[in-house]
Amino acid sequence: MPHTQRLLTLLLVLAAPVAVAAADLPKVMLFTTGGTIQSRASYRAKLHEYNDGPRVTPADILKDVPEASALAKIEVVEVSNIGSGGINTTLLLKLAKGLNAELAKPDVTGAVVTHGTGTLEETAYFLHLTVKSKKPVVVIGAMRPWSAISRDGPLNFYNAVRTAITPEAVGKGVLVLLNDTIHSARLVTKNNTYHVETFVAREIGPIGFADSDRVVFYRTPLTRHTADSEFDISSIDSLPQVDVVYGYQEASSAGVDALVADGAKGLVFADSSPEYRQAILRAQGTGVVIVQSDRKGSGRVLATDSVASRGVIASDNLNPQKARILLRLALTKTTQPRELQRIFNEY
Amino acid sequence: MTRLATTRTASIRTVAALAALGLLAIAPATAQEIPTYAPPPPMPADTSKLPTVVLMSMGGTIASRGDTRLNITNYGGGMPRVDPEDWVNDLPEIRGIANIILDDQRAPRDRPSGTETHEDCARVAKRLNELAADPKIDGFVVTHGTNTMAEVAWYMNLTVKTEKPIVFVGSQRPWTGLSGDGPRNLYDAVRVAASKEARGKGVLQCTNQFINTAREVDKTSAYRVDTFKGVDAGALGFADPDKVVFLREPVRRHTVNSEFAGLDFPELPKVEIAFSYREAPGYLIDAMVEQGVKGIIIEGVGAGGATSGTAGQGEAIKRAQAKGVIVVMTARTQGGRVQDTPRRREAKMVPGDNLLPEKARILLQLALTRTTDLAEIKRIFDEY
Repeated sequence: MPHTQRLLTLLLVLAAPVAVAAADLPKVMLFTTGGTIQSRASYRAKLHEYNDGPRVTPADILKDVPEASALAKIEVVEVSNIGSGGINTTLLLKLAKGLNAELAKPDVTGAVVTHGTGTLEETAYFLHLTVKSKKPVVVIGAMRPWSAISRDGPLNFYNAVRTAITPEAVGKGVLVLLNDTIHSARLVTKNNTYHVETFVAREIGPIGFADSDRVVFYRTPLTRHTADSEFDISSIDSLPQVDVVYGYQEASSAGVDALVADGAKGLVFADSSPEYRQAILRAQGTGVVIVQSDRKGSGRVLATDSVASRGVIASDNLNPQKARILLRLALTKTTQPRELQRIFNEY
Repeated sequence: MTRLATTRTASIRTVAALAALGLLAIAPATAQEIPTYAPPPPMPADTSKLPTVVLMSMGGTIASRGDTRLNITNYGGGMPRVDPEDWVNDLPEIRGIANIILDDQRAPRDRPSGTETHEDCARVAKRLNELAADPKIDGFVVTHGTNTMAEVAWYMNLTVKTEKPIVFVGSQRPWTGLSGDGPRNLYDAVRVAASKEARGKGVLQCTNQFINTAREVDKTSAYRVDTFKGVDAGALGFADPDKVVFLREPVRRHTVNSEFAGLDFPELPKVEIAFSYREAPGYLIDAMVEQGVKGIIIEGVGAGGATSGTAGQGEAIKRAQAKGVIVVMTARTQGGRVQDTPRRREAKMVPGDNLLPEKARILLQLALTRTTDLAEIKRIFDEY
């Protein structure tokens, strides 16, 4: 006990300079939504099906990584504590509106968002299009649960706080940070089911790194985002239904008709099938917007004359799940194909 | 080198002899293998409105011919070279993109390949600086052999003072090769150089439809056409069939913002590169110092390490530094940064960031024309 007391006193003395300086520290908002980074498994070697331990609360994150609080005054907004498969339009809008409210405050320097990695790229791109601020927003997750040996979550969190207070991160749009690597939200995609280096931007690469000496940027993204985006969700409570149709040899058109019957206002095709031709015409006849994306994972779908003549929108190099996000927002503005193609060209 | 040349001459002789005897059905390749069934697109009625692009030749595989069109590895040698005029004649499409001014900066015919020196670089940089000042010129395409293209492009990125696009281009297969990549690369490079979007992005490199920056681009494959990749940070954009697209712009200082831009460097201080590996000896570094180098780039293991022990590189580096030689640490990992750590600061070692050793060499050479102050050199490596 005396030993513990001495240790505590020592810790307090050591922590004192941090406490004094806390008033001068930049303020970072931590928005938590859940995911693997907020999951615990029943034993520490378990890297799969890790929903058998208690959830990690925002307070747990701050307590386990005190180093982050030495860099910034971190305030928490808890949005949810669920896996990324459960993130829906309501939560997306709540998150985006919450970020807009907090980032508008002059004393807030930036924000960090925790998220499950499965659909992280979709949420990050949604925020890239709807957050009205130049301040850094850094979306993070983890590939290994908070309870695992060699868990990646704590360093991802620490690096995210560092990035959120880095002046060079201002104006670069929403960032995704895992494995020390900083990606722009538009092209980043999850590339591996379990490995820590899962996030990549195929063909174009990351825009910077959170290295141990400093946070360093090599690239600025050039498509429209955040403060330059035309999308305003401040008075929106729902978004049009848009679904994704995969394409493969002999794919049946039954799914296309079913989605239209279900009320889809737009369909994104991840590839084509001869069977789709008539179903697409039927869908377009009821006012459904068609976007052609691709299942290959990289490369652009070109807005050729032939694509335009069929009233189809080319997704550029947005993957189907990102094209879906952009189409949902675009449909709040217009259903006119030429205008929709302009939006897909610019974002 | 000599052996290669002999083999090549011998094979050409064989081809010629066989052809003379009428035993060889294949005609020697003289022109680019471009399909002729589709006519070139119509030229714009008024070409005066097109941008003006200088097509500068520094040679390379893209300016080489093979004895047959299947020869895509052992070309050049005694074969006639591809003159800049040949490119325009073989590829009339580029005249529909821009008004082309040809500028031949190749080494003399009698000089073997692989002998390009800094003198050539300095001459071309000076020429680019002069031409860039001409308001009638909108952009530049420079051809170069692919082996050292990235280094030369990086030198221009630091020394040419212009916002006008400068696009380096080359090919993996000779101009005469079957499925030669040269024509498409040249066509795309002219499109990029003629595009407004390419302005102010520093010196670019465009092959295989990718647009890369001079700073990060690296040749990663000996023969494949997808050889050029951006180290750590990827490409800036694409020369796609529909348009030239930029998705990124570089953050580090270059061209108009470079403190070395617009200046002539007829000579540069001597800087060499020492590779590191298990048991790499210190005596190679001692030899460099004896030869009078002003700087040494270590291509270190891992995050920037050299061998230790009395015979190792570490001790030799200290001896070199004692004589005023500046030492920069880079990594042989071809990716990842060498960082400014306390131990490295104590060792008076300049961290090379994620520059490839051959590019760190050029930056150190330029830095040493200004200063030998360690802090100032570190600043330069931080900013470029």
